[in-house]
Amino acid sequence: MRRAHIQDQPATYERLVYKNTSLYHYMRISLQLENESTRLSAAQLKQLICSGLRDLYGESNVLQTSDFPFYLLSNQTFPLFRSLFLFVSFSGLVKLWSALTLLGSYQNELCSFRVTQVSPFLLTLSGNSRELELD
Amino acid sequence: MAVFMDLNITYTTDKKRLRSVIETAAHLGYSTVAINYVVDLQQKKQEIGKPKCVSELFDTFPIVQGKSRPIKVLNRLTVVASRAAHFKPLREYKAYDLVAAYPKTETLFHAACMEFTIDIICVAATEKQPFFFKRSSVEGAIERGVFFEVSYTPAIRDSTMRRHTIANALNLMEACKGKNVIVTSGAGKPLELRGPYDIANLGLLFGLSEEEGKAAISTNCRAVHLHGEMRKTALGIVHSMKNEQPLTERQEEEDVPASKRAKIEMAQ
Repeated sequence: MRRAHIQDQPATYERLVYKNTSLYHYMRISLQLENESTRLSAAQLKQLICSGLRDLYGESNVLQTSDFPFYLLSNQTFPLFRSLFLFVSFSGLVKLWSALTLLGSYQNELCSFRVTQVSPFLLTLSGNSRELELD
Repeated sequence: MAVFMDLNITYTTDKKRLRSVIETAAHLGYSTVAINYVVDLQQKKQEIGKPKCVSELFDTFPIVQGKSRPIKVLNRLTVVASRAAHFKPLREYKAYDLVAAYPKTETLFHAACMEFTIDIICVAATEKQPFFFKRSSVEGAIERGVFFEVSYTPAIRDSTMRRHTIANALNLMEACKGKNVIVTSGAGKPLELRGPYDIANLGLLFGLSEEEGKAAISTNCRAVHLHGEMRKTALGIVHSMKNEQPLTERQEEEDVPASKRAKIEMAQ
């Protein structure tokens, strides 16, 4: 039943579309060197990544992405590989990823960055189904 | 989704290195690789030989990470073309699964797009392209099903080559609008390979969209492989297969003379 004195108001709704789930992305990478006994410190790794960015994008772009080694993890089962976590804004993800891909040498030694996982959520980087051992 | 393929692994006579490259490719997730034999016919006494049998490399092929199948290895020939006459011998091409051309001049590029029976046209990565890509030739190639290949390993090795690769790739994208492009490594060592998603990201640098970048290493590569197979079998109409009959059947057939054989068949 309708009451005459109550006026119907048009229904209003607001639609929010999120194109990105997160402003920041996390990457889990590992560095593979030709000479497997070389060990790099956190500072050397950061310098290597920054030099890669600089080589590809030039001086101006190095400061735009806020990336720093978040946590250095040495995996017990694979002592030759080290997992490194990086934290970067979404706009800088493509730049950082391409700089890592095209980085070829460290001090005249062949090297390559293997990107294991990229995710907007840090927790997803804890599990890696590729290294899962099924009994 | 189509599997990831890397269609350019430089052939070396060093078997151990080739084996390690293929193992790394399998570990990174590539389901198919192609060993590239480069032939520069301008140099004297260069012949297109037969490719080495793939089963000589491995007894059991390494299994692709994430799948239970072993990696598939194809043979590919790249002819560095400086004269149109180089493309006449067709008999040797049948031994290879894929045939590619690396044109050095604009006339050859146009001829390669329109006429030559090839699958892939290589875009220069180590030097600045001496000619511009004409949209008419590129569109002709797209219609025929020929793909353009961009190699990324020179970009890893040296910064000048990096500039050339990106510049040439961007030129190509302007002409072809991102269609019919494949991105491959030209890896000679296992550390020069990169994972498939890294390459899809590199596609963004080269001017491809995200979808096109991923297609460049999966769908388009599969199309090239099929194009190569069709080239061998005359547009897919003729397909020859070795038929191995068991010995006992053959002996039985020989014992029974032809006329009686026909009667037996009719009775059945």
